[in-house]
Amino acid sequence: MSDDKSAVENLPESSRPLIQLADLTKIYPHGTQKVTAVIGLDLSIEPGAFAVLAGPSGSGKTTVLNLIGGLDRPTRGTVRLGGRDLGTLSARDLADFRLHRIGFIFQAYNLIPVLTAAENAEFTLMLQGTPKPERARKIAALFDQLGIAGLGDRRPGDLSGGQQQRVAIARAMAAGPAVILADEPTANLDSKTAEDLLELMRRINAEQGTTFLFSSHDPRVISHARRVISLRDGRLESDQRQNS
Amino acid sequence: MTADLFDRELLKLAWRNLWRNRRRTLITVAALSFSVMLVQAFHNLSFGVYARMVDSGVRAGSGHIAVYRGDYASSRDEKLSFDPGPLPAEVARLDRVERVLPRVYLPGLAQSSRESRGILLTGVDPDAERAVNPFLKNLPPDRMLRTPDGRDAILGNRLLKELKLEVGQKFVVTLQSRGGELVSELFRVRGTVATGIKDIDQSLIMVGRERAAAMMGAPGEIHELAVVLTDAEADRQVGPALEKLVARRPELHVVPWETAMPNLANAIKLDYASQKFIFVIILLIVTIGVINSQLMSVMERIREFGVILAVGATPGRLRLLVLTEALVLGLLALVCGSILGSLATWYLVAHGINLQTFLPESLEFGGVVFEPVLRAVWDLRWMFQIALYVLILCLLASLYPAIKAGRITPAEAMRHV
Repeated sequence: MSDDKSAVENLPESSRPLIQLADLTKIYPHGTQKVTAVIGLDLSIEPGAFAVLAGPSGSGKTTVLNLIGGLDRPTRGTVRLGGRDLGTLSARDLADFRLHRIGFIFQAYNLIPVLTAAENAEFTLMLQGTPKPERARKIAALFDQLGIAGLGDRRPGDLSGGQQQRVAIARAMAAGPAVILADEPTANLDSKTAEDLLELMRRINAEQGTTFLFSSHDPRVISHARRVISLRDGRLESDQRQNS
Repeated sequence: MTADLFDRELLKLAWRNLWRNRRRTLITVAALSFSVMLVQAFHNLSFGVYARMVDSGVRAGSGHIAVYRGDYASSRDEKLSFDPGPLPAEVARLDRVERVLPRVYLPGLAQSSRESRGILLTGVDPDAERAVNPFLKNLPPDRMLRTPDGRDAILGNRLLKELKLEVGQKFVVTLQSRGGELVSELFRVRGTVATGIKDIDQSLIMVGRERAAAMMGAPGEIHELAVVLTDAEADRQVGPALEKLVARRPELHVVPWETAMPNLANAIKLDYASQKFIFVIILLIVTIGVINSQLMSVMERIREFGVILAVGATPGRLRLLVLTEALVLGLLALVCGSILGSLATWYLVAHGINLQTFLPESLEFGGVVFEPVLRAVWDLRWMFQIALYVLILCLLASLYPAIKAGRITPAEAMRHV
């Protein structure tokens, strides 16, 4: 575990911008055909951004998010995060990079059903090797901040969708990542809950400077974002900054 | 410290994962435990039966260890007799020696007034033989040989019938002496034995050792010094001590019962080999079951594994999780199986299996009589070994599912429905 840590600690800390995509292209094989999900995308995202990758289904939003998160490898082009070219990292280093620098929030929450809410939230801390008392302290503070204090002992199945997504946010935030990538985080939530969660993430972004990058076609998410990057057919359609 | 902390968490996660599908886990643990029980109990039962066979065989036959002259053990050349001198007394003084049985074996012809048959004249020390030989166990005292040099004879029951003799009647034994002369002696039937072994019952004539040696023309000499030990394990201690005692007489050889009674040793080896084959088949079937259950468990969680990888777990950690689940499964089976195996062994030791209902007649196996009540013995080392094998098999069976889990790519896994 200490070797993994040092690999991350050696990364340059003060690179600007935080995320840099250059000629990013992803082509998936589909039977005998090839499907181009993203093609020649150039993009920079600054630290502290609250941005959304918008566009209709099939526009390549999730693919871009996966490539930035190191969950997938590009067919061509580069992804740089914090100055580090993810294409140069081995699978193991990439896993370690995700553990320390990236937080994920998924549409379907994707909590581990056999773990309690608190155990789910501290999962990344466990992977990092953080001692139990420190984990408990951090998670208690996060649950308090996210409005789910007292729900730590419940299993995901005993929580509402909104509560589960808050636990997922806690899991994403627990390890103190440089960026949180959220794939359609409000898609399974009712309007009120979605609104509350977006407000919550905005507040975290404002107070703690955590960078958020969403992929969504939900107008509510788009309206909360300060930057809207629109994709269509895998290409950049527009990149607009807005006052939300 | 941190690795240790996470390993404990991994164990906890593995335990909870196992009980996600309670029914599948219970069926897998039950199958594993049942196979551990079967293998442990049947091994213990077989070893109990073998131990009794060996015990019965060595007492009636060569002893746990025998001393022969030259290659008598394989050639059965009656010229290879020897004067035991002080050897029987010296051997009897060794630790863990129960009894020393000097014997003479002479092939010959028995004649009654009406029939004649080929026989094996066996000269024994009546008192020593009576104490250990299972053939003489049920013989009433008034039917036993009285002196080593008398004319009393004990006959196999079939031989008695074939010679048309009855207890108390006289018959003649004729054989070739050491000098090549035909020698005849008159004996009187003192008793009869039914060993259950056809060959023995048709050919056995047991007489006093000194009388037999005198007929052979080599008074005081014997063919076999059979050493019966207090327990079968004592041969490792007594064997070398006996070697040392006979070292001053290079014509004598110390032979273990496996060499002296190859039929019995081979019968046991063959029987145990076939049992081992069945054990392997049982364990193979169970291993396939574990592969199936672990693979299903991995395939059901592909999306979840994708998430675990996405949040920063390495493929190695995921493989370790699957193997830890197998380890926990194996440990559960090890404990439950060993408890069941112990209970089954306890029953088989205490009560045994009575085959008398199915086999009213005694059975001969490997040249000894097979007792109708089969009883097990405790072989704790083997029981532990087999439980450990099952644990290792569990881990081996989980290698493929674990490798499969480690090959999952997070983006693809999260698209998995």
